[in-house]
Amino acid sequence: MSQSNRINGGLIDRSQTWDFTFNGKKMQGHPGDTLASALIANGQKLVGRSFKYHRPRGIFTAGSEEPNALVQLRAGAHQEPNTRATVAELFDGLTATSQNHRGPLEYDFMAVTDFLSPFLSAGFYYKTFMWPKAFWEKIYEPIIRSSAGLGSLSMKEDPDSYDKGFLHCDLLVIGAGPSGLSAALTAARSGARVILADEDFRPGGRLNSETLEVDGMSGSDWAAHTVAELSAMDNVRLMTRTTVYGAYDHGTYGALEKCTDHLASSGGKPRQILWRIYSKRAVLAAGATERPIAFGNNDRPGVMMASAVRTYVNRFGATPGQQVAVFTNNDDGWRTAKDLADKGVEVNAVIDTRNQPPVIEIPGARYHRDAKVRDTIGRKGIKAITLADDQVIPVDCLAVSGGWNPNVHLTCHQRGRPEWRDDINAFVPGGVLPVGMTVAGAANGQLSLASALQEGHDQAAAQLKDIGIKVAKAKLPQAEDEARESVAFWHVKESDKRAWVDLQNDVTVKDVKLANHEGFRSVELLKRYTTMGMATDQGKTSNISGLAILAEEAGKTIPEVGTTIFRPPYTPVPMGALGGRARGKDFRPYRLTPSHKWAEANGGSFVTVGNWMRAEWYTRGNEKGWRDSVDREVQMTRNSVGICDVTTLGKIDVQGKDAAAFLNKVYANGFAKLDVGKVRYGIMLREDGICYDDGTTARMSENHYVMTTTTANAVLVFRRMEFARQCLWPNMDVHLISTTDGWAQFAVAGPNARNLLRKVVDDEHDMSNEAFPFMACGEVTICGGMPARLFRISFSGELAYEIAVPARYGNSMMSVLNEAGAEFDACPYGTEALGVMRIEKGHAAGNELNGQTTAHNLGMGRMVSQKKECIGNVLSQRPELVRDDAIKLMGFKPVNPETKLIAGSHFINKGAEANMDNDQGWMTSVAYSPILGHSIGLGFIKSGDTRKGEIVRAVSPLHGTEMEVEICSAHFIDPEGERLRA
Amino acid sequence: MPEFTLTAEPPLMGLNETFGDMVLRAPADMAIVSIALPLGGEEAALKAIKAAYGVAMPEVGQMATSKGGETLMRMSMDQGFVVFTHPTPDANAIVNAKLKGKAYTTDQTDVWCALELSGATSRDALERICPLDLHDAGFAVGEAKRTMMEHLGTIIARTDTDTWLLMSGSSSAGSFLHAIETSIKNVS
Amino acid sequence: MIINHPILGPRDAAEFVCLGDACMIDRPDWEAEDAMQQFHEYGYLRDNPAGQHQELWYHEQGDRSWLVLTRNTLTHEITKVEMARDVARSRGRDK
Repeated sequence: MSQSNRINGGLIDRSQTWDFTFNGKKMQGHPGDTLASALIANGQKLVGRSFKYHRPRGIFTAGSEEPNALVQLRAGAHQEPNTRATVAELFDGLTATSQNHRGPLEYDFMAVTDFLSPFLSAGFYYKTFMWPKAFWEKIYEPIIRSSAGLGSLSMKEDPDSYDKGFLHCDLLVIGAGPSGLSAALTAARSGARVILADEDFRPGGRLNSETLEVDGMSGSDWAAHTVAELSAMDNVRLMTRTTVYGAYDHGTYGALEKCTDHLASSGGKPRQILWRIYSKRAVLAAGATERPIAFGNNDRPGVMMASAVRTYVNRFGATPGQQVAVFTNNDDGWRTAKDLADKGVEVNAVIDTRNQPPVIEIPGARYHRDAKVRDTIGRKGIKAITLADDQVIPVDCLAVSGGWNPNVHLTCHQRGRPEWRDDINAFVPGGVLPVGMTVAGAANGQLSLASALQEGHDQAAAQLKDIGIKVAKAKLPQAEDEARESVAFWHVKESDKRAWVDLQNDVTVKDVKLANHEGFRSVELLKRYTTMGMATDQGKTSNISGLAILAEEAGKTIPEVGTTIFRPPYTPVPMGALGGRARGKDFRPYRLTPSHKWAEANGGSFVTVGNWMRAEWYTRGNEKGWRDSVDREVQMTRNSVGICDVTTLGKIDVQGKDAAAFLNKVYANGFAKLDVGKVRYGIMLREDGICYDDGTTARMSENHYVMTTTTANAVLVFRRMEFARQCLWPNMDVHLISTTDGWAQFAVAGPNARNLLRKVVDDEHDMSNEAFPFMACGEVTICGGMPARLFRISFSGELAYEIAVPARYGNSMMSVLNEAGAEFDACPYGTEALGVMRIEKGHAAGNELNGQTTAHNLGMGRMVSQKKECIGNVLSQRPELVRDDAIKLMGFKPVNPETKLIAGSHFINKGAEANMDNDQGWMTSVAYSPILGHSIGLGFIKSGDTRKGEIVRAVSPLHGTEMEVEICSAHFIDPEGERLRA
Repeated sequence: MPEFTLTAEPPLMGLNETFGDMVLRAPADMAIVSIALPLGGEEAALKAIKAAYGVAMPEVGQMATSKGGETLMRMSMDQGFVVFTHPTPDANAIVNAKLKGKAYTTDQTDVWCALELSGATSRDALERICPLDLHDAGFAVGEAKRTMMEHLGTIIARTDTDTWLLMSGSSSAGSFLHAIETSIKNVS
Repeated sequence: MIINHPILGPRDAAEFVCLGDACMIDRPDWEAEDAMQQFHEYGYLRDNPAGQHQELWYHEQGDRSWLVLTRNTLTHEITKVEMARDVARSRGRDK
């Protein structure tokens, strides 16, 4: 079988022949073919099985509205299910397989469902799998799941890459059919920046599929000429293979460009690009979709849309049949018959539902007026049709035309609601269209060629005028108005066999009637009850017919019934394209600390903290597990000195004459009187009185402060401070700028911290405790003149400093500090040791500042000033927040020192039942203290400050654990602060 | 002599790559200092800037270059950047001295990493990650704008017809470089 | 959405962060006799209009300005964009 149905003509390149396979069968096609046209050329009628009944199905349309011909393309990891053969471009070596059958396509074992169809009507699942209840999970659901769905995934990682992008234009023209080309031409010649997007690989729309003339040449030639002119213009971006799938706010559109789907290999380039298009104005020229007529067994392979049949014949030089009948309710169906006859394809009957003379004389065809097709014969391919008067006509293809539905989808993506037009028996755009959008051509109900060309021009001109672009004068493309009369005729009442409305979801006329009968009378309910209009085609060929039948059955008019709401996307968008580049390690940006390289070379193990990668510990020698390293780091630091990269803490430069007054408002504690050269710990509240963030702020000079925030809240605190500066106190002279990335900052902690830093800080700076005491800060120079900032602050409870250098010196600084510290047996420590030491010292961190706790809970209630205006202080005094028996931050140690505490455990008094009524609080942070030799914890417990020494139970139903703990001070180490002031 | 010396290792140091007609390089020794205009002292500050650089602080979104090659970028109503070539870490002191205390300055040199992308198709590459209109109608030579690319806050400046200066946070330089390189590779 | 920034021109809403009702500008007087009640209302009570709404947006990936948008919550139409600082001053925030 070699292209048995190939005929003359068409826009394909016969000089090249390509091989492809369908279900392993070798076939041939040509450049310019789609998979569907090549299958038709090769005489392949049966291409898939239907979703529910596994009925044999063939190619039904020639465009993106295809409900039947869904195939799996390619193989291995590249396999892609549910691809419409009608829009899949052929390439040399393409492999395609049919889907939704068990066993071979011709003998699908699941076809038994078709014989059970009397039981499988609308709502079957809802009605049937109700009882017994226990059967659902174990029996019904697994069976339904295994038989549901269409194609299958490869279950391998997608080897292709995807990209995204942003485009801007004055005018976006959606669709490159006659009205779209006309609109683009007008706009382009006027100098506007134009984007012309079309889902097809060959612009022209129906001009390529029909035999109408424009400007005295064939439509396809005119399209090609126009495209050539547009392509040569700098102000035009012509995007083929690009579907504008969604209309979003303020002229923003989503578009999917298929860059390499038509190639055997992507060549390492993105397979598809998801574009965001910002347009000043848009003209929707999306054309119209032909709709079927429902009659008995109208789903057989070989029953096709009339416009699709002529597309295959005219554009692709492939005929879907050798003996074709046309069934129509309108003039346009006759043009299919004529085009076929002109090409020498036998048309043996034209069946028109109207009682009127022939529209066009078709040689060799018998005309049946006021007639209907009642039934068809031929399970795997149509063999004959039966008319309502029982005449049987042998055919191998039936072309059906039920009229045209304007493609109004994008007009409805916001608040547009289509309006019914009786004169063309179709919905046209109505309601409020997306901002900046107008509609032209068939999409707007201008179904004739001349009117489409005219309206494309007119809409573009109006849009340009609206944005102040002068429209260049030019001659309009000329064409004739073809005959387009039609009547409303939706289904053949004389049919006693099942008549399909939605081929993709196997919804029949009877299902629609049943839904109405059972009370699902709203069109939205009809959709959900019958599944009509769902899945990959979103009912492009079925929705309008379905609601027309519903209207008829319910005794309403079609506009009364209305349409379901069209939502993006217009056609399916692969998940890969939506994800774009955001995959694997590039899922989101990562941030590295300045000493990252040094850490990598020195045993650092990294942990993700927000976007940051931080060293969690540094493995040395034969340390076997993380605890070995962390315990050692804590001990070395407390015994001598440790060094930790703390760059990730947010740093905000605060300057201005009112900087002090401003800080006094954003911090709950007093900041107005902080001396130059001093640092203060500050706590920020939310306006509701709950703690927000904490950190230190250093006064570097009269009007210059350097604030630190927690790592997690750096961005949020900056945002809040900008809010305070601009919206709450707009007349303060205060300026903020982030310097988080600008300074590499290191904590140097431990009894030898000063000794170490003395070797690095230049000699002229007095480092003595008297000259530079606890909470001092200043600008210094190090290593012979390098500017640095020195802060005497401590998170570990040790004598400690933080020293900051310009970030580009950070890696070198880490190395220098470790080198200088060698004589003291200094060690670098990571976030785990940092965490252990802050728990030992009783410092609150994220676990304690969790968005539920107040300064009162943290034992810092007195810090919240009531003598000044500051964020949060008023509501922090709400009675419920300042109760005497409020939870308080305390330390906890296990009664049995061998026991390991568990964070998240709740405290229950001894003897009380472990339930929420008896809940006393919870454990927030735990660590093994290598200094104390046992597990320690921080936590909140009711009236904790008065309960020191009491034994309570720490219960974790989650872990199934319970242990006795003693309430103690949160400051396990150096409670009097002698070490840090040393 | 001090016992220890510090060496500078800016994250994209020395980067210089060619892809077809595009060149991607990291400018060397680029110093950046922010200048905030005091509330109520704007005029005095603008005067001081003009006196220091010989050019006025431009309008928001614009750049101005002094005879000495310093570029002023206005990022917001009350804040601008001065960008100049200067290897040592004392850029802030230099700018501060020039402005004689009439504006608040902050060293931003190490806050940012910078890439310069040039070449006829550079706009095609940037279109993949930059939401702004990069065509002449929307982005003239001499403009500098702040936006977001691949989730990263970015300053993009058009320094010549086919040359773009891109600045983003220095800690995420690796992700930033990856974003730009991927865009270039995807179009070249 | 596209937000027409008064200084920078049209920008994608993705560059912004939305805070919500612009009544957040009208922070009560902390020294008022009924300050607790006023702050309670300030913190917790919001209208949720179907239609015109004034809201605060922050141009985080831009010039860091806070803006007051007058936006229709039904149509997303933005009829006015102002610098929040100017709005705050005009509403009498004088510090």
